[in-house]
Amino acid sequence: MNNDGQLCFSRLEKHYNTRHVLSIGRLALVPGRIVHLTGRNGAGKTTLLKILAGLEAPDCCDVLLDGCSRSWQAVRQRLRRDMVYLHQHPYMFDSTVADNLGYGLRVTGVPRARRRQVVAVMLERMGLEHAAQRNARTLSGGEQQRLALGRAWLLQPRVLLLDEPTANMDTGFRQQTWTLLQEMLNHELAIMVSSHELSESECPNCLNLHLQDGRLNAGPPSLHLVGQDRSRSQEVLGVKP
Amino acid sequence: MDSLLQPTQEAFHLLLTGDPDLWTIISISFRVSLKAILCATPFALLLAFLLAYVPFPGRRLLVSVFETLMALPAVVVGLLIYLLLSRSGPLGDLRLLFTQTAMVIGQIVLCFPLLVAMGYAAIRSADRRAWETALTLGAGRPRAMLTLIHEVRLGLLVAVIAGFGRIISEIGTSMMVGGNIAGHTRNIPTAIALETSKGHFAEGIALGIVLVTLAFGLNLILNLLQRREAQAV
Repeated sequence: MNNDGQLCFSRLEKHYNTRHVLSIGRLALVPGRIVHLTGRNGAGKTTLLKILAGLEAPDCCDVLLDGCSRSWQAVRQRLRRDMVYLHQHPYMFDSTVADNLGYGLRVTGVPRARRRQVVAVMLERMGLEHAAQRNARTLSGGEQQRLALGRAWLLQPRVLLLDEPTANMDTGFRQQTWTLLQEMLNHELAIMVSSHELSESECPNCLNLHLQDGRLNAGPPSLHLVGQDRSRSQEVLGVKP
Repeated sequence: MDSLLQPTQEAFHLLLTGDPDLWTIISISFRVSLKAILCATPFALLLAFLLAYVPFPGRRLLVSVFETLMALPAVVVGLLIYLLLSRSGPLGDLRLLFTQTAMVIGQIVLCFPLLVAMGYAAIRSADRRAWETALTLGAGRPRAMLTLIHEVRLGLLVAVIAGFGRIISEIGTSMMVGGNIAGHTRNIPTAIALETSKGHFAEGIALGIVLVTLAFGLNLILNLLQRREAQAV
């Protein structure tokens, strides 16, 4: 994060063989804000999120972190520590709900007693206390999504990257997810959510970005961003309004 | 029919009365094969993981080599180890020929390709999201690898059981580098061959029963584990 708490990626390029997938001049992730990334299927949203999370290597990319610019490779481990990426269909380890929830704490060395305490609180917050000892794979799709969000939340990441979390979900569940994300948001957390469609009502305060032909633009064409919304979106892309 | 029935009755008698020679053979067999599988498994699984997750030039070729070596004849391994360990061989000074250590080495060479190839297939079958989820939740690569191994534990267990099955019943390597010395390097397969050639069918059948029971027991354990896993999800 730089002095403003921002994390900024610049000159991000990615090819798959001869296909140019991403070419992004600048992208800033601002704490306390949700960035809503749209783009059609295959536009490169998942690739972008995985690069930001340190899971997939770009061809080149500079990252502005703690006020100084370094290559993506140099900060890869740091990115993995600071960010949590959630798959479209979150992966559930073959163990209990409580084990899944505490996985990140366990691998980062949090003592067992503290872990149990924190996991118990999160189980209650996510409404999963009744299923604590069930195998996580037996949960419904919605419950698995909640568990994955809780699992990420416990790690207190700087950035949460969600890959189409509401795809194939009914309206009620989509609204629930958005409410949960707003609840998770604080002045130290930035959230980026991708989807192939955008409903304004679900996320009225989001910064909207659209990925097309490997490039990021302010807001999807269908959204007709005006005034402050457009200038805020342009700001994270380094475009002068 | 009597020629089969009578030795079988005698075989059960030998097993149940705890015939010391017979149980020494069984104990040598298990000791050698367990040592071999315990030594080979960690390295084979690590290599299987590297082949599945670390891209490097020639990786596919290496996988094909291990797949081919799965069918490596035990006598060929025996011959190679014999040449290495014989007095005039490069490792002759170690004086390992006709010892249990030589048998362990031979069995490691036999089961290693099978463990790598089957382990590789099991790890490749794991959901890629498991690896990425472990990493993004803060696990380092070694810890993420352990998580992945846990996720495909049943497939890896099948590999280990198949490897153990291959070496506990092999005769070529044990005979050539062990020498079939009574009370020292005589294991179940070499003893069966010897007792049959001497016309002592009861001992041969008794040892055969042990091998078949072992195979049945391992399959039973595997089936129970599979059923338990299926019920858990």
